[in-house]
Amino acid sequence: MDINIQRRSSIAIIALGIVSVVVAMILNFGGGQEGYRGYLLIGGLLLCMGGLYVLPTRKHRQIINVLFLLPLLFAFAFTVIIPFVFGVFYSFTDWNGIKFDQFVGLENYITMFTSQDYVYSLLITIVFATINILLVNFVALSLALLCTSKIKGRNFYRAAFFVPNLIGGIVLGYVWQFIFNKVFTSLIEGSMSMLTDPNLAILAIILVSSWQYAGYIMMIYVTGLQGVPRDVLEASSVDGANSLVTLFKIKIPMIANTFTVSIFLTLVNSFKQFDLNLAITNGGPSRILNGFSILSTEFLALNIYKTAISKNQYALGQTKAVVFFILLAIVSLTQVVISKKREVEM
Amino acid sequence: MKRLMSVLLLVSMLVVMAGCGSDTTQSNNEDTSGQEQTAEKDNDTDEQSSKDASIRIINGKIEIDGALQKYAKAYEEQTGVEVIIESIGGGADIGATIKGYFAAGNMPDIFVFGGEGEFLTWEEHMEDLSNETWAEDTAVAYKTPDGKVVGFPYAVEGYGLTYNKDILEAAGVDPSSLTNINAYQEAFEKIEGMKDELGLTAVVSMAAEAGQMYWSTGNHNFGTYLSTGLEQGDTTYIDMLKNGEIDTERMTQYGKFVKMLFDYSDKSTLLSGTYDDQLALWAQGKTAFVHQGNWIDPSLPDYGVEFAMGISPLAFMEEDTDGILADAPSWWAVYNNGEYVQEAKDFLESLATTEAGAQCLVVDAGMISPFQSTTIEPVSPLAINLMGWVQEGKTYSWQWAKMPEGFAMNDLGPVFEAYARGDVDVDGFVELMESAIGTLK
Repeated sequence: MDINIQRRSSIAIIALGIVSVVVAMILNFGGGQEGYRGYLLIGGLLLCMGGLYVLPTRKHRQIINVLFLLPLLFAFAFTVIIPFVFGVFYSFTDWNGIKFDQFVGLENYITMFTSQDYVYSLLITIVFATINILLVNFVALSLALLCTSKIKGRNFYRAAFFVPNLIGGIVLGYVWQFIFNKVFTSLIEGSMSMLTDPNLAILAIILVSSWQYAGYIMMIYVTGLQGVPRDVLEASSVDGANSLVTLFKIKIPMIANTFTVSIFLTLVNSFKQFDLNLAITNGGPSRILNGFSILSTEFLALNIYKTAISKNQYALGQTKAVVFFILLAIVSLTQVVISKKREVEM
Repeated sequence: MKRLMSVLLLVSMLVVMAGCGSDTTQSNNEDTSGQEQTAEKDNDTDEQSSKDASIRIINGKIEIDGALQKYAKAYEEQTGVEVIIESIGGGADIGATIKGYFAAGNMPDIFVFGGEGEFLTWEEHMEDLSNETWAEDTAVAYKTPDGKVVGFPYAVEGYGLTYNKDILEAAGVDPSSLTNINAYQEAFEKIEGMKDELGLTAVVSMAAEAGQMYWSTGNHNFGTYLSTGLEQGDTTYIDMLKNGEIDTERMTQYGKFVKMLFDYSDKSTLLSGTYDDQLALWAQGKTAFVHQGNWIDPSLPDYGVEFAMGISPLAFMEEDTDGILADAPSWWAVYNNGEYVQEAKDFLESLATTEAGAQCLVVDAGMISPFQSTTIEPVSPLAINLMGWVQEGKTYSWQWAKMPEGFAMNDLGPVFEAYARGDVDVDGFVELMESAIGTLK
């Protein structure tokens, strides 16, 4: 009897909550300007939650679990899921940032893959990412080995190598632009800036990117190397392994999971390279290809940004972003699966 | 005890959620940038008289922020209408910012737009301003194809080859003779020959790097191909461009002129220089010409510039074309769905027609007033020079503002850079132009 009253009253509370949410929605989308519709919406949601909380049911525990997860789910949905769904939706329309008039089907996708600048951006990004991943990881591992050896002042080195990562990419980019354009050209009398040659300009971005990111990845390798058990190393040295053999036969296999993380981070970071690209070259210099003069260092992220913001083609930019997401997801998942196989379980 | 704890937790969680929740819902119709005063007024206008109205302006020219703020303050004291100036610097992002405001239901009452592309984006949200008194008083208001005035011009800007008069005098070159390519050729040769004597590193200071300086080449310099020699309102070459066509003969002639400019430019500044590098070179007296316009006026005191100066035409043809490229750089539109449309119109009216408004635009902001009835004279050197060109009617309009958005940045800028680097000759330049413009078909 008591339970029944509780059940009925809690169902009534939930119903009241739903009604007020619905009313608030109707007011809002019906173009209403009433100031109380926000309170109505929130009040309704609170009533629903309160009702669910007091509802006597065997699933009480699950309901509580979901209720406690709600704030997180709410934030995740509003910042990630909903914009993503909207993004995919807009890629099939002629959206211009304000409104869309019609659905265009796959037209944006076709335009994208037939436009020379996008295909070039895609290729140049892959070239950049490949070299950058190799270079960053090589440098980072070397620095990490240095910082875990018995060298004097290694804590200082650790901090020093990490510092570039603390400076924002845009600031760093402009500083390096100055260095390439002014300092290097005055060191070598009469030379032109690296940033005026298409190939050297990509190299310039790779150098700065590695310089900035290697310190960060180094920290991950340092942590990995410190986790290599001392007894294994001692056993190997008793067996007469020199430092090179120790490195290749023991240390590197032992930190395979660190490689997984590091390569994943550098991979994603390289593909998404934007701030350095924008600040150092902003796409320049030009390169003549097929009778067209095109921007030679415009990576994918910058290409997407320019398509949407500078060219005011929001739907096309959104389409490129969707493809960018899919591409990145495929590449990084493949990498993680492959790397995982090499990991050693302790 | 356990139950009490869980209830307490639940309550605190609900409080937190309610906090987040009400924020998100309110920002849909209210202000996100912390100007709650405006937001509150939105909700209860009925109770308050229009005396407490508050209008918000998105200004795209950060240099004149101070002048506008000062005027807004005086205006508020006079009329009781609060004017909030929100200045955004840095080119293309302004359009995106305004779109963000629009999506958030936080649209300003007056917003800046920079040309045909942005006009088409916002067309249906612009108030018709044809009946304002200032609309008759200016030649550079933005008009729709059917003749409605929708854009309030707040300035006229002009550019060409800005010269250092002292150097030209020392070299014996009369700036008023620079009205065709041959005169330039002669003058450049003469100055080049006297470089050591005059303490110059090059004749021209120009920057053609594609990543950051595309606007100077792809928009400004290319603008002379589109406009020079044409009557005001003649859209021959811009129309051809939009159809993906070029006038090969005119382009070749233009290519020769650009080649000459590049040949006499400082190489390192040309290929890797920034705007600051370009300006510094000229302002320090190391070149005779700089390819910029009257907007460099406010920067000149930083370099302690004392020499006399003026603007000469980008006259690329054999025939004389005695006029510089001058027009309104961008316009202000009134958002037609705003709360205070009339107040916004009144503000523009006062800026255009009152003495204090002219004082703000001409003296405080250092610009040229686009309104014929303005009598206040500008004070900075290039503004005075530009004023002369405008008053004599020797100007060509900025047809380049009608190019598709991003075209100069993505397509024309790289062509100029390749040309500057010497990758192509005049014919190659014309071919690259043809293929770049051909994509617009």
